[in-house]
Amino acid sequence: MEAPLVQKGRPGVASHDSVFPGRPKGGNMPDLTINGRKVAVNADKTTPLLWIIRESLQMTGTKFGCGAGLCGACTVHLDGVAVRSCQTQLSEAIGRKITTIEGLSAHGDHPLQKAWVAEQVPQCGYCQSGQIMQAASLLSHNPAPTRAEIVEAMNGNLCRCMTYPRIVKAIERAANELRAANDSAGRKA
Amino acid sequence: MTKHETILSRRAFMVGAGAAGFVCSIGWPEEVEADGAYAPSVWYQIGADGLVTVNVGKADMGQHIASTMAQIVAEELGASWAHMRVNLVGNDPKYVDPVLGANITGGSWSTMMNFDAMSRAGAAGRMALIEAAAPMLGAQVPDCQAYESRIVAKSGKSVSFADVVKSGKLGKTYSADELKAIKLKTADHYTLVGKEVQQIDIPFKVNGSAKYGIDTMLPGMVYGRVVTPPTRYGATVKSVDDSAAKAQVKGFIKAVVVEDPTKTTTGWVVAVAKSYPEAIDAANLLKVEYDKGPNAAVASETILAEARRLQTVPDAGVFYVKEGDAPGALSKAAKVIEAEYTTEINIHCPMEPMNATCEIKGGVVHLYSGNQFMTRSTAIAAGVAGVDPKNVVIHQAWLGGGFGRRLDSDMFVPAVAAAKSTGLPVKVIYSREHDMTMDFTRPLTYQKLRAGLDENNRLIAVDHDLVSAWPTARWGIPAFMTPGVANKGALDGFAVHGSDFYYSVPNHTVRTILNELAQKATPSGQLRSVAPGWTFWAVESLVDEVAHAIGRDPAEFRLAMLDGKGDNDGAQRLANTLRAAMGLAGYGALKLPKGEGIGVACVSSQERKTSTWTSAAAHVAVADDGTVTVKKLTVATDVGVAVNPDGVRAQVMGAASWGLSLAMYEVATMKDGAIEQTNFDTYTPLRMADVPEIDIAIIANGDDYPRGVGEPAVTVIAPALGNAIFNAVGARVRALPITAASVKAAMKKA
Repeated sequence: MEAPLVQKGRPGVASHDSVFPGRPKGGNMPDLTINGRKVAVNADKTTPLLWIIRESLQMTGTKFGCGAGLCGACTVHLDGVAVRSCQTQLSEAIGRKITTIEGLSAHGDHPLQKAWVAEQVPQCGYCQSGQIMQAASLLSHNPAPTRAEIVEAMNGNLCRCMTYPRIVKAIERAANELRAANDSAGRKA
Repeated sequence: MTKHETILSRRAFMVGAGAAGFVCSIGWPEEVEADGAYAPSVWYQIGADGLVTVNVGKADMGQHIASTMAQIVAEELGASWAHMRVNLVGNDPKYVDPVLGANITGGSWSTMMNFDAMSRAGAAGRMALIEAAAPMLGAQVPDCQAYESRIVAKSGKSVSFADVVKSGKLGKTYSADELKAIKLKTADHYTLVGKEVQQIDIPFKVNGSAKYGIDTMLPGMVYGRVVTPPTRYGATVKSVDDSAAKAQVKGFIKAVVVEDPTKTTTGWVVAVAKSYPEAIDAANLLKVEYDKGPNAAVASETILAEARRLQTVPDAGVFYVKEGDAPGALSKAAKVIEAEYTTEINIHCPMEPMNATCEIKGGVVHLYSGNQFMTRSTAIAAGVAGVDPKNVVIHQAWLGGGFGRRLDSDMFVPAVAAAKSTGLPVKVIYSREHDMTMDFTRPLTYQKLRAGLDENNRLIAVDHDLVSAWPTARWGIPAFMTPGVANKGALDGFAVHGSDFYYSVPNHTVRTILNELAQKATPSGQLRSVAPGWTFWAVESLVDEVAHAIGRDPAEFRLAMLDGKGDNDGAQRLANTLRAAMGLAGYGALKLPKGEGIGVACVSSQERKTSTWTSAAAHVAVADDGTVTVKKLTVATDVGVAVNPDGVRAQVMGAASWGLSLAMYEVATMKDGAIEQTNFDTYTPLRMADVPEIDIAIIANGDDYPRGVGEPAVTVIAPALGNAIFNAVGARVRALPITAASVKAAMKKA
């Protein structure tokens, strides 16, 4: 397989190297907390978080799609809530917990990721990190969404391959799995 | 007889044709083979660990073609699916498509045209493994078979592929003649083909690890942001003032005016900087003066007006079909029905914006991107770099959507120019705005059709004029052109495929006219399904109009003309899919409320020789204000053999959704020589809330070989919708996209 299982040598952490040293209004190496680890970045605080994540931290699972908050390909979590990283300035992310697709689960086994495989959702796959992050945010706040609630939550995420029906099925599958896991945990307790 | 052009054999000569000088031998760095691996042919190797890695020359843009190639190989090889891996190979000509003779992915050709070669490659490996394993098992060759990555003897003794490879007794390679002589499995013996195995690439696409071109990272890499001119094509740069960028952007390196001898781009500049945000800042600060060029006044309206004018010119264009005497039959017809159909400009906009990374090292131009036509892209990159094509190496990535957009090579041009000018590895990323406004769009099309009926209401003539840009002629590759019927030179089949329908109509003429204005100003490209995306819109709407005009049921009228007579053998399969779609949709059986209707269409996309028989029934509800609600789409498609039925369903689902999106949600316009839509706020593909119920039936009788599934279902939706709207409220729409306003206007006429 050409695609590596994990990005070796880049476990979601950058060194303390300056990131975008040339930007004029550079800050004082603010700390970012991303996927549970602290990293320092030296960049203009107005820089879109997307480019910090993708190009400086080289965590490329988060995708650039439109740069205007219209497609959702760049969706990450800030304190567990889905945001568009292309519309989020670095300054807004400081002091908050950033989660990207690489940090959603330890081994790519979040119920949504498993459901995405089970339903064979991705085609080109480019938008799917954003779709999964958006769906994860939905399920963490609404563990039993209706179809209409799923569509409402997901409608901002474009998929040009138009895998939408499978996305819906995968979210429903993951929600069911989460509920079943919670039920069984409840019974044990 | 004009319909049966031999597209496949003609394309096979493409290498020899030497068009544009790029199909020469391309050198390749020595490849490192895994220790002790056995490669029976170029298509795969079996490692000492038993893993089988298939070398995939096809661009994987989400159709899972890499996985499909592995599935075909594994079937004949007898490998366990769990042991299959894929390797995306670049522009090395040894991996060219065995039928097409080039590194190209499109046309819904890949599975169809590689099935035989991959099957034979798999079988050759199996034979070699058995030959080597038989003595190890104390068995005779005929008493051994391959199963789940083991060679199993009649005695029950077995040895794994891994152990056979490790024995060092393998080494046989197969000549073309030997491969040709292999007797392949028949469909009743398949164990993997037809099975819904998991696509190999999907696990990497749910955890963020799949690498697309845009994810390329090279040591010392800098970034390029393109600055594009105010007109789509034909502008030139008069001057660049980079003083503000120099003063205000610390990481700014330089502004590169792109010199493009291939004329793929015109008037482009690249702002190069140490980081991408700095490249954006610098690009925004560059003051570029342009000569807007000759196309600065072109608009969608002028393109359409020119198309209408050209259609009235008697000598214009080239005939694609000339059967019988359509004009003569029309002049004597008892009834003539005339209609014109149009489509607007459409944009590919795959989710991964165009990008490429270039590093020039030791005289070799290395390019990192995802591309559908590496043979041509190699030539373009070589032209811009000023090197021999053999010194261009493309490193293929997964494509974040293709849809025909990545058949083009423009993204390589600024990357090569910037790398050449700076001596640094440069990653160039288009903004979404660049991606949309610099697309090679689906052309605006104008079609005028006349249908003639005799006194018994038999359709005796169809005269079809089609005016558009010619998307593929733009490439300048003679092998991709089709000879015209009446010795008036070549035509671009990719502007007319599909118009050579399978209905039995004795007099049939298709004339295709190049709209030079559009060709120069837009310029057009291949958008998922290409010509059948507009030809069937016209043909399948017209057939419906004719049926209604004579009081026939449009579905039954079609079936009667799909008799397979003469050179229309195959029409029976098309009729079969139409019956299937009708039955599943409840056509004629469902009792529909007022304002609702079911319409049908049937298509033989993509080309006459590569038809995938596909029909649709669209169920719509139309409100008084013309708003159309699509309640359900039913698609039935005859694919011959479904290698992975779940993958086929995914492709047909996506294609049908594209058909709906193009029919109702997507429209681009040109004004002042520029595309007006710049992002997903104004160019608006289908979103989740817009998706109706879509029911898909796959017909796979295994009668011959797998047919393509990525595109055909795109082409059947728009006419089915138009026909459904007519059945619902008696309103005939003849322009795409269908809007509430156009339906309302048609309702007033009804």
